[in-house]
Amino acid sequence: MTREQAKEYLSAFRAHGADEADPTLQQALELARSDSELGSWLAQQREFDKILIEKFASISPPEGLKETILESLNGTVRPIQSWRMGWFALAATVVLAALLLSHKVDLFRGSSQKFRSFRSDALAMVSVKPAPILDLETPSLGTTQAFIAAHDAPRLQQFPPKLQAMATAGCRVFVWRQHPASLTCFHLPSGKFLHAVVIRADAVGNPDLPSGPYSENGWHVMFQKKAGLLVMWATQAPMEEVKQFIET
Amino acid sequence: MVKKIDLHAIVSEHYAALYRFGLALAKNESEAADLTQETFLILAKHQEQIRDPERIKPWLFTTLRREFLRKIRTHVAHPEVEFRPEEHDVSTMEPSAMRAIDARTALAALEMVEESYRSALELFYLGDLSYKEISTTLGVPIGTVMSRLSRGKEQLRRALATALESDPRRIIPLPKNRSPEA
Repeated sequence: MTREQAKEYLSAFRAHGADEADPTLQQALELARSDSELGSWLAQQREFDKILIEKFASISPPEGLKETILESLNGTVRPIQSWRMGWFALAATVVLAALLLSHKVDLFRGSSQKFRSFRSDALAMVSVKPAPILDLETPSLGTTQAFIAAHDAPRLQQFPPKLQAMATAGCRVFVWRQHPASLTCFHLPSGKFLHAVVIRADAVGNPDLPSGPYSENGWHVMFQKKAGLLVMWATQAPMEEVKQFIET
Repeated sequence: MVKKIDLHAIVSEHYAALYRFGLALAKNESEAADLTQETFLILAKHQEQIRDPERIKPWLFTTLRREFLRKIRTHVAHPEVEFRPEEHDVSTMEPSAMRAIDARTALAALEMVEESYRSALELFYLGDLSYKEISTTLGVPIGTVMSRLSRGKEQLRRALATALESDPRRIIPLPKNRSPEA
């Protein structure tokens, strides 16, 4: 075995010594003991590996992940998407706090806490940069509709006529507090997205909706109720551009 | 008779490493958490098929990786970020300099390694898998694993050195795009 061959073998040798007794690596290890240059190389390699392993091990899983996994394995309430929604709940807290500070919460005076939470969670979901996470990427509205229907999530049976001609970025289906919901993203001519989040209205407390569109942290948001569904439209495009697409 | 596996113990033992592996693949914390959770749900569903408890660890990593690849294959293919060794002619690093890097920089440097080498490195460093387990997980011969680890480590060393050379305290933004393996 040459020194170079030994180096290749020893690259597979784990720094903490778990492979000390591995017969395949024995010859290379023997050579490293007798060849000082190879021995020095191995020592450096192990140091390099140890430091990297330490660095990577310092990445902690999010708090509560283990419990979430165990709960889902026990067949309890949490669906797969619940972990992500946990982050949305956190984001919702932040957004709600910001709203309270800026007194914008007055817009939703009288509406239920459930609706406000949904609004914040949904906005956090579509605010993900560079784009929301989608289950399906397709320009075809028909394909997104079929996908959402196949997953038994609520969807608008008919989008406004002008929007039907627009290309979509795709869609996702998710569960919000045990209630299925869907997101459909459209590409607008300005290059911005228009998001339509749909959930059953009674899932969010059948709320009284804020009248007309409003702006919040760079987002234009509008709610509608249609056939027992609540639709939240959200975009960062100019509101005038959006209105022509979503007003029927 | 098939012995029923202790899911609680398996989750406790492996979820953190799986999450880190998922993070290296997906570059997104919530995606990594979802991938980890989905992996254990698949394990729960198929636990009867796993006869050898010693194979659970590579099975988990294989499954998470497969789930990740399945997901990104449903998305638009992204251009691969290529690493050009000739532009990063730095091959040695002092351990003290290595200790100065943070985990995010290390992950970003890992992302600079060519895809075929990177998969082996991710399993080696984040999963603590042996070369035999990596061979099983990736479905490639043992000799190939050794070669990929050797060359991948060299690329990783160079990527880290380059990151440190430009600014010792710089945190490299994680590349957002990643293409599925062929």
